[in-house]
Amino acid sequence: MTISKSTLRGSNRLKEGDKRRVVDETSRKRRQRKVMELLESDNYHDDPHADLVMSKKIPRFDDSLEQRSTRTKKRNQLVDEDRAEAEANKRVSYMDIQCEESPMPPRHFCAVCGFLGHYSCLSCGTRFCCIRCMDTHADTRCLKWAA
Amino acid sequence: MNSFEQKTYSKLSSDRNDRIRTKRRRSSVGPSDSNKEAKKECDLMAVIVDSGAYTIKAGLSSQQNSTLIPNCIMKAKSERKRLFVGNQIDECRDCSGLYFLLPCERGYITKWDVQKPVWDYVFSKNVCPINDNPVIVTQPLFNFKSIQDCMDEIFFEEYEVNSMFRLNPTDLARLKYAEELKLKDDVPCVIVDSGFSFTHVIPYINGNKYLNGIRRLNVGGKLLTNHLKDIISYRQYNVMEETYVINQVKEDTCYVAENVKEELKIAAKTGSANHIVRNYVLPDFNNIRRGYIQDPNNSDQKEKEESCQILRLNNERFIVPEILFHPSDIGMKSMGIAEAVVKSIYSCPKQQQENLAKNILLIGGNCKFPGFRSRIYADLRSQLPQAWEVNVYLPNDPISYCWEGGRPLLRTPDFKNFLVTKDEYEELGSSIIQQRFNTWMIDNSTANEEPKRAVEVYKYLDKLNSQTIFGKQDNGNNSLETKVNKENINLSMTPPENGDSGTPISLGDEFDLGTGSEDTSQDSFQQPTEPEIISRTARKANLRNNSPENMVSVNKDFESFTSDDLTNSAELFPLGTGSYL
Repeated sequence: MTISKSTLRGSNRLKEGDKRRVVDETSRKRRQRKVMELLESDNYHDDPHADLVMSKKIPRFDDSLEQRSTRTKKRNQLVDEDRAEAEANKRVSYMDIQCEESPMPPRHFCAVCGFLGHYSCLSCGTRFCCIRCMDTHADTRCLKWAA
Repeated sequence: MNSFEQKTYSKLSSDRNDRIRTKRRRSSVGPSDSNKEAKKECDLMAVIVDSGAYTIKAGLSSQQNSTLIPNCIMKAKSERKRLFVGNQIDECRDCSGLYFLLPCERGYITKWDVQKPVWDYVFSKNVCPINDNPVIVTQPLFNFKSIQDCMDEIFFEEYEVNSMFRLNPTDLARLKYAEELKLKDDVPCVIVDSGFSFTHVIPYINGNKYLNGIRRLNVGGKLLTNHLKDIISYRQYNVMEETYVINQVKEDTCYVAENVKEELKIAAKTGSANHIVRNYVLPDFNNIRRGYIQDPNNSDQKEKEESCQILRLNNERFIVPEILFHPSDIGMKSMGIAEAVVKSIYSCPKQQQENLAKNILLIGGNCKFPGFRSRIYADLRSQLPQAWEVNVYLPNDPISYCWEGGRPLLRTPDFKNFLVTKDEYEELGSSIIQQRFNTWMIDNSTANEEPKRAVEVYKYLDKLNSQTIFGKQDNGNNSLETKVNKENINLSMTPPENGDSGTPISLGDEFDLGTGSEDTSQDSFQQPTEPEIISRTARKANLRNNSPENMVSVNKDFESFTSDDLTNSAELFPLGTGSYL
């Protein structure tokens, strides 16, 4: 990048600052939620047998099992039901026992190398520890997930 | 429902070969003691199934060890026409890119079409047949009702077990712990169960779970594996599809650091000064079936490994398990395991807190990280009062420890009365049976006592607010406040020293002060020191802000206050009140 002499003075970062796309708070939260979901996922890839015609080994259900599968509920539904029932009976419910937030401030680790990350990315808030890691971050993950 | 009951009644009347009768049996059905001998025999044997989200620990109680069976169905890329259920994965030649079908979602069974085949496999002839033995099966804490219905249905109707019992794995662990350390049954202890889906901290008082002290941390082995997978994929190889292999990497290399900052300093060093870095030889499923840590001194081996893929693990080794202690490291809004234990202990009755700290038991797969016990101990030691004795106990095999608790359970006197027979299930229906399962080892009684104390303190403050002695005419038309005052009058009739005679600075005293200042308003102070401080601070806080909004917020918080906050506030009341008002 060639910089003309008239623009040399002053901080480059501040001049570039306006052009930089900054991920706003809501999409940062959305991104964080996505990461947490990924951490709870069973598999990253798709079912390798998905294109197969159903083999005989795949479990089949007799009538009584069919009945149960209709009773099968989503987890959110279960939690909601539990909360409602717990409120009615004044008992401790599943949601009540969840840990609160810690009073201690969070520690920050460099997303690239894993050591303590003292700086954060201007665009997306990801932590990094040095210029090398910042460059790696900018080339790879920064804004890639922002969708 | 009605037709169902009718059906079962008719069945009952036709063939009543009741093997085990219980006290709670309906009175209309006459007692049948004819089969008592048979019952005694079956007491000695039972199939114990600790059905975890990742592994099922199953076996007959007469066996020395349980069989460990993965609770999942796996699909391999290499063998396209086969599903691997449980231990069948050992027959799989190429375990790369395994696809998992897990029956549990965050620890609770939601996919029955996966769970049923796995159970079928577990109870098949070659693994752990039931053969008319009673079945003891575990379920997670706060198991949802419809899941319990399904479990009962499967066991009684599909497997046709004669009798069964459901309980939490930690109940078994507590029994085993009491037996192993030869403790009395009612010794209080805290059990930390850190498993695949989550981590529970459960205080046991007088042999029962103290519900108000239970804490759950949504960090488990699954999250740790996925996190390790994620950072390795970003830093070295793309292993996003290799959950199975990376789980082994985690088990083989990860450890818990005593001091993270020191450990990070060492990890940042290069050369021989860095004793943390390890090279892990990844399996190729040709010559190497399970990966291992490379031995730097063995040069012969090194040549062989040249064609293998090698993973270099440095700070990942201890940063990953660190999530258990600081979930905020990955942006999770939750406290860590040690803080949760402290919180849990403090939310128990005061006279038990010190004893709880003496018996802390660690179970679950995450406890197998080297250094886990000493780290928990160090963290607890620094957060609990110096005068308290802190003991953290880690069993040799924290995974199957619960299963081993099955034997002491069978030896419990009267245990046979707790077993639910098939007939009872058919007669009473699953909801009554569930009540029996779910009231086992639960202490819900004191749950109501603690919040009531909270109300007393705040009512006292409210009263101070409403009095005019501070030169401020309070808004008496505040509906919330008047309601509280009414209740207050009711309360003043009951003697306040009821529950808390043991505590040195009891809240009852404050309450006395409250009523005293209203009734006689002069010389009713028994203890002039403590209450005076309290009243002064209360007055200060009162003067600072007594806007109606604040009052409402305080009132709203009544329910959500745990006793922990209160006991703390009673001790440190002069500091605490300001933040509450």
